[in-house]
Amino acid sequence: MHEQGDFDRFLHAVDVDGAIAETSHQRQLVLSRRGLLAGALAGAGALLLGGSEARAASGLSANDVGILNYALVLEYLQASFYTEAERSGALSGKTAQAAQVVGATERAHVKAFQKLLGAKAVKRPLFDFQGVTEAQQAFLKTAVAFEDLAVAAYKGQAPKLQSNAVLAAAVGIHSVEARHAAWVRELFGVTPAVNAFDKPATKQSINHIVASTHFIVAHPKMKARSRPQYTG
Amino acid sequence: MAPSAAETRTTDARSRLQLIVAGGVGLAAASPILRALLGTGAADAASKSEDLRILQLVLLLEYTQVALYERALNEASLTGELRDFAQIALGHERQHLAAVKQALGSKAGPKPRFEFGLKTKSADAFRETAIKLEDIAVAGYNGQATNLTKPTLAVAAEIVSVEARHAAWVRAIADEVAAPDPVDKPMTASEVAAGLREIGLRTS
Repeated sequence: MHEQGDFDRFLHAVDVDGAIAETSHQRQLVLSRRGLLAGALAGAGALLLGGSEARAASGLSANDVGILNYALVLEYLQASFYTEAERSGALSGKTAQAAQVVGATERAHVKAFQKLLGAKAVKRPLFDFQGVTEAQQAFLKTAVAFEDLAVAAYKGQAPKLQSNAVLAAAVGIHSVEARHAAWVRELFGVTPAVNAFDKPATKQSINHIVASTHFIVAHPKMKARSRPQYTG
Repeated sequence: MAPSAAETRTTDARSRLQLIVAGGVGLAAASPILRALLGTGAADAASKSEDLRILQLVLLLEYTQVALYERALNEASLTGELRDFAQIALGHERQHLAAVKQALGSKAGPKPRFEFGLKTKSADAFRETAIKLEDIAVAGYNGQATNLTKPTLAVAAEIVSVEARHAAWVRAIADEVAAPDPVDKPMTASEVAAGLREIGLRTS
């Protein structure tokens, strides 16, 4: 499993700077201002499942809202990453095709969670992918790390969900993230399915890993490469 | 030699499943964590007897996967990445089967028969069948998520994402879209049973 070491080295290449803590602090402010328990949500399962007959409970518990917002941040991260990679024009062949499909799916997950959470949805954080969307191998390596993370994150949260409608949708997304993980692993040239049992990860460990990448930033990226420099 | 990390994980998942489903009352009494895992109050329709019923279906699913990969590796002259896939997936499915059998204990149903016909006789036919079977596995586990008790759901979740990885892998080998839907559609127990019969499962 040498690839795991590579990813760890890659993900821990830079030190934690508290960006994710800042993001989650902002998230808490947003949430408490809007009121965690207010509002009723109808059709959550139907929405996420794309119009099936499943109906959600009339409201989501604070517990489920918290989990859905955590999932939404991970979906924002993935959707922005694939969108930026597609736009960079650095991808080709099967990788470009996969990125298009996976990117569209992650954007659909974002939209579904936003709609489900309504006013309770956290805002999209600012991202700086530090060039990994601009080269195919770096893109694939990061995609593998993100998708494996998403699988472990959903797995860690699924048994904690209280609403059966949300759980039904979440497990359907969980397995799609696993498909993505295997797909990008295959494209990167590492074994798509390493162990017989995939292990879950806690919110804390996921947050730590995401923070260590510095991909979530507190301020907009300075677009040195795509914008003219103004000195005065 | 010390057991590998993978072996430790397997043993862990297997013993948890066994403990959760088949009893483990004595141990539960000794450990507060296990007592919490086994629980006493059923909050909804999910229950230990419902878990057992669902695991009988899962048993048939895992038997079918093991049989398909074993026969194809013997009969289909697999080569290259498809052979690697079949070997690795077989190893995983054997571990899933062992975990489910152990969890069911004496309640485990008998080993079924299989009539795969031409499905295990050529690489192309095997590849298409493997895609169908792995997709059924994903949909089958997903379809039972809300019926399982939470501790059993936690173990099932460790298995279903591996089935989803297999599904995507063999689809990628076939040059098919590995993740066609934004949300994987679940299947009911009877849909899974019908799908397995179509592939070659014979239970009588």
